[in-house]
Amino acid sequence: MPDQQVTQFLTGRIWLREHAPFPREVIDAHIESGHIHLKPGIDSHQSTFLFWQLKKYVCNRCHNSNQTLFHTFDCARCNKKCVYCRHCIRMNRVSSCSELILWNKEPAHGVKLHEFNWSGTLTPLQQKASEELLTSVERNESHLLHAVCGAGKTELLFPAIFASLLEGKRVCVAAPRTDVILELFPRFQKVFPKTVIHALYGGAPDQEGFAQLILSTTHQLYRFEEAFDVIFVDEADAFPYYADETLQRAVVKAAKQGAAIHYVTATPTDSLKTTNKSFLSRRYHGHDLPVPMFESLWGYNRRLNKGKVPQKLQDWIEEKQKNNIPFLVFLPTIDMLENFPGDLPRVHAEHPERKEIVMQLREKKIPGLLTTTILERGITIENVHVAVVGAEQKIFTASALIQISGRVGRSFNYPSGDIVFFHHGITHEMDEAKSSIERWNKL
Amino acid sequence: MNCLICGSPFQSAPTWKSLILFEIQPNACTRCLKKFQKTDHAIDFSDFQGTMYEGMVDQVTGLYTYNEAMKNYLHQYKFMQDVALSQVFAEELRHVFDQTEGIIVPIPMHPEKLKLRTFAQVDELLKSAGVPFQHLLTKIATSEQGKKSKKERLEAPTLFEVMGKVEAKTYILFDDIYTTGATIHQAAKALKELGATKVEAITLIKG
Repeated sequence: MPDQQVTQFLTGRIWLREHAPFPREVIDAHIESGHIHLKPGIDSHQSTFLFWQLKKYVCNRCHNSNQTLFHTFDCARCNKKCVYCRHCIRMNRVSSCSELILWNKEPAHGVKLHEFNWSGTLTPLQQKASEELLTSVERNESHLLHAVCGAGKTELLFPAIFASLLEGKRVCVAAPRTDVILELFPRFQKVFPKTVIHALYGGAPDQEGFAQLILSTTHQLYRFEEAFDVIFVDEADAFPYYADETLQRAVVKAAKQGAAIHYVTATPTDSLKTTNKSFLSRRYHGHDLPVPMFESLWGYNRRLNKGKVPQKLQDWIEEKQKNNIPFLVFLPTIDMLENFPGDLPRVHAEHPERKEIVMQLREKKIPGLLTTTILERGITIENVHVAVVGAEQKIFTASALIQISGRVGRSFNYPSGDIVFFHHGITHEMDEAKSSIERWNKL
Repeated sequence: MNCLICGSPFQSAPTWKSLILFEIQPNACTRCLKKFQKTDHAIDFSDFQGTMYEGMVDQVTGLYTYNEAMKNYLHQYKFMQDVALSQVFAEELRHVFDQTEGIIVPIPMHPEKLKLRTFAQVDELLKSAGVPFQHLLTKIATSEQGKKSKKERLEAPTLFEVMGKVEAKTYILFDDIYTTGATIHQAAKALKELGATKVEAITLIKG
């Protein structure tokens, strides 16, 4: 008889044998009885090119095949040359002498009882998109939901998720960023009070039972294989998802064969191919999206290097401070952020107190904040105004600029605000961002 | 080339020196390397005077301070077992050991612990730097040093056993971190008692 907890945990998962959250004897017994199937950590493929022997490694957990991210060393455990994957090393190392375990028998099932506890109303546009998505999910056809920033996308997913849960399907809502998962978790718990929901992200606590609904960062999906009947990828345009092919493959790997994958995004890329599509061009409050203004800031780099803030930018910041308007200044590099003159608070990806500082801005304890693109999405600050410095730089792609512009005017009480691109020359990306926003406003 | 620590792409500027002379190319970007802080100071171990370890060690050098960046580095290297990170300090270590004369002896791990970690982090640092070394010691006590006080560490029975022959020469012990100094002193005592004339020590980090 298989252990119920082991069944529940391993259903749909691919896990390192040595790090399984069960005693070793229990795992061994399940392997012996054929309930658990083993896979080597790293697969290698040999090929020959003329005289050269080429060895290509693939990580069986994260499916990374970038050879520069494999490292060979003399392993003291197996006394051979071992190869390990550096790509997913943060989830405990997978090497050639480690084994991955997968569930091989009758999977665990969720309870049949689900409750849908949501009483909000949708605008006619939201309603239409929501119904289209529901139809696609019922037909198991992939769907792209293109919704402008601040359109209220999450609510649209609820009916489709509820319908899937009732059919006994296992559902995953994935997003590239932990912040988004942390924000979604309590909302989903409220809407589906009888459903077992797990939230998975780096450093998440252990959660018990079999979750029929999983909210997960796309990274954590490396640890799943053929697990879900329905997957929604929220913020599919966010870094690092669009830039990291292994994350895209992780989503496909986590889906059962033939299961449709649905995407929700504000800036769809051409690579997202789906059968159906809906477009939500209005914000939930019905106002236009704020259109970015271009403001030249010639030679800002040299000026900043001298330890001075360029005049136009200085004026803008002072004006916001005088009028008591919270503001965000986006900078292209961490270097520039750290060396920016003055004592404005600043946050970047490695900053340990990111959440607290953003909270302080929301509570108006600090006037404004310098940031890198880390805050480009997912944060809502009432009446915030935004400046982008060095908008011509490569890191500010059209989709990043659209996201950044989308921080402004999100609340019902303050539907407009400044969004200024300070630049040293106008790029295509800037033009594209602006014209996209203008086009959506006209729809 | 991508930085081994932060993963972002970087280019190391080619120099005449690197073209003509053999020099190990940096494996980490300048932004990451800048965060490590050098000490350059000989470590003061006068606190061992009056103990049975007095005179066992002749000189100790610690190369870097144990700051936030180093803590993260060590965590990823030792506990997340990212062996590739042994290359980060290769150039620096090669440079330091070039200026020393003596037989280099890395502080070993207990065989059981080694099996668990799958690699000896101290040896790997030397291997990456291309520094030749000799295994002269075996660790015989398993208990974790990190969990003990200095007094407990010193009173503990011998940590090391010498294998092989010790000659009347200079030996240079190498370890990743110098915290209380107990490990280095125990190892030095074992070597000196068997006839080493001089025992110096170099550690990557001064804790």
